[in-house]
Amino acid sequence: MSELKIGTTVHLTNGQTAIVKKLLGEGGQGYVYGVDVAGQKMALKWYKKDPSSDSAAFYKNLSRNAMSGAPSPVFIWPKYVTNKEYDSFGYIMDLRPQGYYEFGQFLLGKQKFGSFLAMTTAAMDICEGFKALHAMGLSYQDLNDGNFFINPQTGRVKICDNDNAFPNGEKSGILGKARYMAPEVVMGKTLPNAYSDKFSLSVVLFMLFYMNHPFEGAKVLSAPCMTESHEKKFYGSEILFICDPTDKSNQPVRGIHNNVIKRWPFLPSILRKVFTEEFGKDKLQNPTRRFTEQQWLDTITIIRDSLIRCPHCKKETFVKCDSSDNKCMECGKPIQITNTLSINNRTLSLTIGNQLFLDRDDTPDLQIVQDSQDANKLYIRNLTPDTIVVDTTKGTTRQVESKGILPVKAGLTLHIKVRGSMYKCEIK
Amino acid sequence: MSLLDSEAIARRTMHLFFMVDTSGSMRGAKIGAVNDAIRNVLPIIREISDSNADAEIKVAAMTFSNGSEWLYNDAKNAEDFEWIDQEAVGGTDLGEACRDIEKILHQKSGWMGSGSGSFAPVFILLSDGGPTDDFDSGVAVLWKNNWFKAGIKVAIAIGEDADTDVLAKFTGNIERVIRVHDVETLKKVIRVVAVTSSQVGSASASATAGGVDVKKEDEVTEALKEQLEEEKVEIGTDLNTESANDDEW
Repeated sequence: MSELKIGTTVHLTNGQTAIVKKLLGEGGQGYVYGVDVAGQKMALKWYKKDPSSDSAAFYKNLSRNAMSGAPSPVFIWPKYVTNKEYDSFGYIMDLRPQGYYEFGQFLLGKQKFGSFLAMTTAAMDICEGFKALHAMGLSYQDLNDGNFFINPQTGRVKICDNDNAFPNGEKSGILGKARYMAPEVVMGKTLPNAYSDKFSLSVVLFMLFYMNHPFEGAKVLSAPCMTESHEKKFYGSEILFICDPTDKSNQPVRGIHNNVIKRWPFLPSILRKVFTEEFGKDKLQNPTRRFTEQQWLDTITIIRDSLIRCPHCKKETFVKCDSSDNKCMECGKPIQITNTLSINNRTLSLTIGNQLFLDRDDTPDLQIVQDSQDANKLYIRNLTPDTIVVDTTKGTTRQVESKGILPVKAGLTLHIKVRGSMYKCEIK
Repeated sequence: MSLLDSEAIARRTMHLFFMVDTSGSMRGAKIGAVNDAIRNVLPIIREISDSNADAEIKVAAMTFSNGSEWLYNDAKNAEDFEWIDQEAVGGTDLGEACRDIEKILHQKSGWMGSGSGSFAPVFILLSDGGPTDDFDSGVAVLWKNNWFKAGIKVAIAIGEDADTDVLAKFTGNIERVIRVHDVETLKKVIRVVAVTSSQVGSASASATAGGVDVKKEDEVTEALKEQLEEEKVEIGTDLNTESANDDEW
């Protein structure tokens, strides 16, 4: 067996060495060791056996990926590749940061998001990661709940097991699990590529929001023993979304699929709309029509825009800015939205305690605060490091420096700079 | 009760069955090694089940010598299953063991009922000899059962006298009969077989270039071949390459 002993010296292709310190974990494909590389603590993934039917191509791809570097900081990417020695090989990567847990732990109910804000942040990070990966011409291929590590409080994500990132359309051997793969791959019609990745991304996002699998409902449950031929059917030729509006034969089952039954009604309607489309027959059968990561990012932005703090109970709730009938999903009290902020086609509510995110990172840019004398008077506080230029209703301009405030008054136009981009926002 | 709370996602069950020969010839080092190995592999099985969002693993074990007997009267969750050290005495009623296991391989009348469904079960058969009862009709009954047919079946042939042809009739493939000759290898093989078949069996099926085509049983066969090659453990041959000495039998 290719298990390494503590203290073994492994040689890297860049001339450095790594000393094995301890075994961190073991998976189907290989071992993960804590190692020392020139005084720095890193991790070594060491393969148990040939990770692919074409070992030479796999090794070449791994080396190529290590050379080009990670598509984005979200990825725990191969940094250095080892020589072929001790009958095997592996690669060096950063250690996983503390406080991050496997997505599978969330599915198993052992970890949960500290807030809906963290949930949307995680969704954003995963989409941004995929977008960056595809921009490099790579596709993920063996995606499943073991590849993502999420911080439950912040929602930040680290994507691991990136040795399976291959140039679009290339790969041989085991390609992934049927449960996460696009139907055309399950049926053997295509090899994994960026389009099948987009399907897998939608499956992961569905599981992230609803804690259930999008294609496992009554129909799938009716097969007592899930054999390979059943998997080919249920994730391939007869794949059916559990919330399909016309075909109800695969609906979630009460008592078994409680998470999605509970969450489907109260999470924003745009999510229901997008998933129903993505998992409808048209997009299942026509991979090129699937949502791009950018479209997902825009959707998640809208969801985050609609997340506010209830002015009564202070808990998180989703609202619809164009509705006059908003009720807090926690305390049930009605919420009145008097003013909103318009940015292009986005609408954000200006309610007390609300934090507004203009760009996609998880640092709030604006916050709504209350007058200490008059609870009905609200102000916007500038949380950005730059000055905001305001076009007043009188035709003049005013400046609001960082940490300063301006009144919530309909008609004002704000020019806000966040991380190099300009946002033109109108208070309505 | 927060809206952020969620239950564990619905998981299928994967049943792992140990079938252990406790005939007189297993007495001493052999049964000692089996007891030790199964006891040591259970924490790993628990770990696989605990961190697995696809399936949870339930374990059951039966012994057979004069007749056959289950350790418990149902399959138990991996974290609740405790191995009870076995003694070895008597014959090798493998035929009856087959019939008894067939009886529980049913949803309503057996142990295979599960609210959220199952994956195909894993059967690990350990034996050092040949059956002393009517094995052929017993195994024929098993092969009529759909759960058994769909299952991942591996046999470990302990020592020279183990009848690999008989064990191949159980597994359906001589490549899934693994012969071992000494205590240390026996322990290692039990671990590798249990872990590999549990990992493959408790996961969603794999896709290759041809789609979901690889049968899990074949995936296990391949994985076992690769992992055990270096141990010089014979798979599916009847070659006698080791000469007996005090440490081996």
